[in-house]
Amino acid sequence: MLEDDVRELTGAAFRRLQALPDDDPARPDLRADLVALNLPLVEHLARRFRNRGEPYDDLVQVGTIGLIKAVDRFDLGREVEFSTYATPTIVGEIKRWFRDKGWSIRVPRRLQELRLSLASATSELTQELGRSPTVKELAHRLAIGEDEILEGLESANAYSTVSLDAPESTAWDGASVGDALGEYDDALATVEFRESLRPLLEALAPRERRIVVLRFFRQMTQTQIAADVGMSQMHVSRLLARSLATLREGLTGDD
Amino acid sequence: MMETRSSRPTEQAEVTLTVPADSRYLSVVRTAAAGLGARLDFTLDDIEDLRIAVDEACVLLLKQARPESQVRCEFTVEGLGLGVRASAPCHRPKVPPRDGFSWTVLSALTTTLAMEVQDGELVISLTRSRGGDDLL
Repeated sequence: MLEDDVRELTGAAFRRLQALPDDDPARPDLRADLVALNLPLVEHLARRFRNRGEPYDDLVQVGTIGLIKAVDRFDLGREVEFSTYATPTIVGEIKRWFRDKGWSIRVPRRLQELRLSLASATSELTQELGRSPTVKELAHRLAIGEDEILEGLESANAYSTVSLDAPESTAWDGASVGDALGEYDDALATVEFRESLRPLLEALAPRERRIVVLRFFRQMTQTQIAADVGMSQMHVSRLLARSLATLREGLTGDD
Repeated sequence: MMETRSSRPTEQAEVTLTVPADSRYLSVVRTAAAGLGARLDFTLDDIEDLRIAVDEACVLLLKQARPESQVRCEFTVEGLGLGVRASAPCHRPKVPPRDGFSWTVLSALTTTLAMEVQDGELVISLTRSRGGDDLL
């Protein structure tokens, strides 16, 4: 189908959809049509993220979630093409997936699922308890054994080596994923540490550096850092492990 | 209903683990440490600290350990805390500089920390008490 046809059909479908009352039985079908019609956009965008260690099909699937969100939120009154409106949502969804769930070492699906449910149970319980949960509490919440929780924690460190600071593979907008993550460098300025460690820390990407500084120089817990930086505790854990590995490589001799 | 964290001191126990001086065995040591932390009702934050600390200590040992030697980790569960004594035979054992990065990392993660050379071995001793139920 030609791009112009897609645009025509999409516009027509949205006009019909938005003319219908909220509970009209024809709505789900129209919504599904809109998603199917615009799937090539998702495929196009997902291709930009190939060669980053994640299966293309997974990227399309994640991008499709973004497409569905965009379909649900699009308002004809905006006077922009749907594709223009949907692109950032789709790309955002793919990037978020890389950030939260990217795996470099092939971890068995069961463990991936375990890790994901651990991550969400951990943040739920942290909210409820006002502190980081214990293994027993997690096991209780997820109705699985403590051994499995421990296994999940270890597998969580099979972290992604997909660099979030690498430029995206095609000229998208020249921005790296890290740019979207805000300013992290102020941590360095406010902490006193030995000058000898500065070059070492400067070898880290800004976000990793901030996490390392907050943990080892400002004595914040992983949970506190997670709240501060706006990511899950498990993601903080993975980034810390990765940073320490990087720093070890950078250290020579007998330190 | 949520169980509350036990505040009674756990039984005293000693666990010794000996692994080849090879980084591929670090996950075994980390997991053992995490398991003992779980027994003590440590929070995930405490367990993560413990895992990183034990990992870092073993990496320090691996840098100096004789080839084909073994790293020995003695865990002591006592009260509400865990002690770890990690050691490995080294050719010329040397205590890492206190102002180095590893020392900084380890002291941020532990309650007490000591390193010494003993009978041709580098010995790293650390303890980790259960953290407070600190609020965010």
